[in-house]
Amino acid sequence: MGTAIAGLGLYKKTPRTSFGVFASVLKARLIIISRYKGSLIMELFMPIVFAALPIMLGVSLASGGTPVAENWKISSGTADFRAFMLIGACTFSVVSLMTWLVGFWVRREMVTGTLESVWVTPAKKYLVIGGVTGYALIRAFTAFIISFLIGSLIFGVNPFQGNILIAVLFIMIGLLPLWGISFMFGALILKVKEANSLINMLQWVLAFFMGVYFPVTVLPGFLRYVALSFPPTWMTNGVRASLLEVGYFFEHWYIDLAIIFVFAAVVPLLGYMVFMRTEKRLKKNQGMGLY
Amino acid sequence: MPRAIIKVQNMSKTFISKERKKFLRPEKREIQALKSVDLDIYDGEIFGLLGPNGAGKTTLIKCLTTLLIPTEGTAWVNGFNLQKEENLVRASLGCMLMGERGLYWKLTGRENLEYFGALYHVPKEKRKERISYLTDLLNLQEFLDRTVETYSSGQKMIMAFAKSLVNDAPILFLDEPTVTMDVHAARELRRIVKELNREGHTIVYTTHQMFEADELCQRVAIIDRGEIIALGTPTQLKKSLKIQDVVNLEGVIPKGVAEKVKAIPGVKDAVIKDVKAGKSTLGVMCDNSRKLLPKIMEVLLENEVQIEYIQPQDITLEDVFIAKTGRALSVDTSEVPEEEKGGAGGRV
Repeated sequence: MGTAIAGLGLYKKTPRTSFGVFASVLKARLIIISRYKGSLIMELFMPIVFAALPIMLGVSLASGGTPVAENWKISSGTADFRAFMLIGACTFSVVSLMTWLVGFWVRREMVTGTLESVWVTPAKKYLVIGGVTGYALIRAFTAFIISFLIGSLIFGVNPFQGNILIAVLFIMIGLLPLWGISFMFGALILKVKEANSLINMLQWVLAFFMGVYFPVTVLPGFLRYVALSFPPTWMTNGVRASLLEVGYFFEHWYIDLAIIFVFAAVVPLLGYMVFMRTEKRLKKNQGMGLY
Repeated sequence: MPRAIIKVQNMSKTFISKERKKFLRPEKREIQALKSVDLDIYDGEIFGLLGPNGAGKTTLIKCLTTLLIPTEGTAWVNGFNLQKEENLVRASLGCMLMGERGLYWKLTGRENLEYFGALYHVPKEKRKERISYLTDLLNLQEFLDRTVETYSSGQKMIMAFAKSLVNDAPILFLDEPTVTMDVHAARELRRIVKELNREGHTIVYTTHQMFEADELCQRVAIIDRGEIIALGTPTQLKKSLKIQDVVNLEGVIPKGVAEKVKAIPGVKDAVIKDVKAGKSTLGVMCDNSRKLLPKIMEVLLENEVQIEYIQPQDITLEDVFIAKTGRALSVDTSEVPEEEKGGAGGRV
């Protein structure tokens, strides 16, 4: 390692200043979004709108006298289809927010011109991206809780049924693999630049496989395995199972949670590697700032 | 012998660009933006990088700031290797590369400085002191606590300049820092650049404005089509032309006239330097303009040129560029046809 010819100015790398990178990115993101209040309010109502469509369909079918709720219970394990849909819509909203916020963070910075300013600093990328994902996590988790409570009021769902603590555990740990998925989305966006329509489509593929409006057990054999390879599917089912007792994939909550732990350990690393590889490939050609 | 704080060794950079032709598959084309550049920048100097758009200045800077990986060659910045010690290279630099676009417009100036200070690992207490120092140095008081979106272009540039100073790095990269500033603000920035240099900072300064380079830079490299075509102090470069006079003739000058003037015995070069609102400036370099002016006028009148203004001037760095390339700095290299380029070259 070389020695500095003319010193390093005020640069002083310590655990504290490294944490400062993470904290500053998180704080800056929160300040910026606090200056877009309309967007924040819209975000809280999106899952409610998503849930309203299937709930209204269910309500209208049930009002015809057909035992819709009973049929629903046979396939899903609960007759409370309102709560089922609401939880699905809220977890999908979390997945959607995480992938958009982290995946499109790079793109936004590219377009606004700040990406190069960030990339030229000695801050480690995992700290910067950690700050962004930390912010996305806070925003997504807060949106989940508030939308779930408002949605419960609107649709007459009891939000305090089942084991809330386990449900929260499923959400918290289920968010970690989403970091990895978001990095992969980010890498995809870096590569193809104008990826809005692709990401939009991929989000709906994710929504399909994580069983937003139906239990994944109704999927045909092969597709069920594909669905089970998506970490959000485990998070959604875990929350539903702990609140509505629809049944865990492996009977006990701790086994399902252990599976999510494995995802949480592997997927972010994998995603980060994919992201950094894409970044290196870009720097070998036109660079990060080109959009 | 001065120490090289930046040492560039045999650096080349090739881009692969895709050319789309209607619905056909895109064709890949190699563009060589830097060609085996060797360069030493000394500790404590203001070094100017001059050249037209597309010459390779920005590519060189992006390679030296780790934003691009060179295709070949390497460099040492502040004693650290570009490829092996990326983070320490970055820690050695203060950069103003994207001008006003390098700031977060929804944050205030202070929040931007806090944010970038943290990203440069400046301890929190030092950050506060530094921001306070920069506020006084650059007169930021009036707009420091307003969001950047409310700033004028000049204020945004000053804030971007402040951002490049937040870590008090030994080396500063300033890419066209005065481009959207008014005359007064630009003059003030140049004064501060000189002051920072006196304090010991090495400054790499790119500009289109030759008088800036003349005023500020101790040494200058002129870069064209990815190659350094001239290097030295501004005085050395101007003396190297071995001409006495430059005359600028302004008016309505049809195409092809420059070539005819160039053919006059005693004229070293004649180039259209600038075109504005249908009027052009023809720069004529010669040994003795007083003696040659009647002959030049004769050729111009024969070609129905309407001359409105004649001005003899001192030799500038732009004249050095013209003498070396046969083109004016205002000509974008990427727009010069391939056959005129003498090889692949120069998009940034």
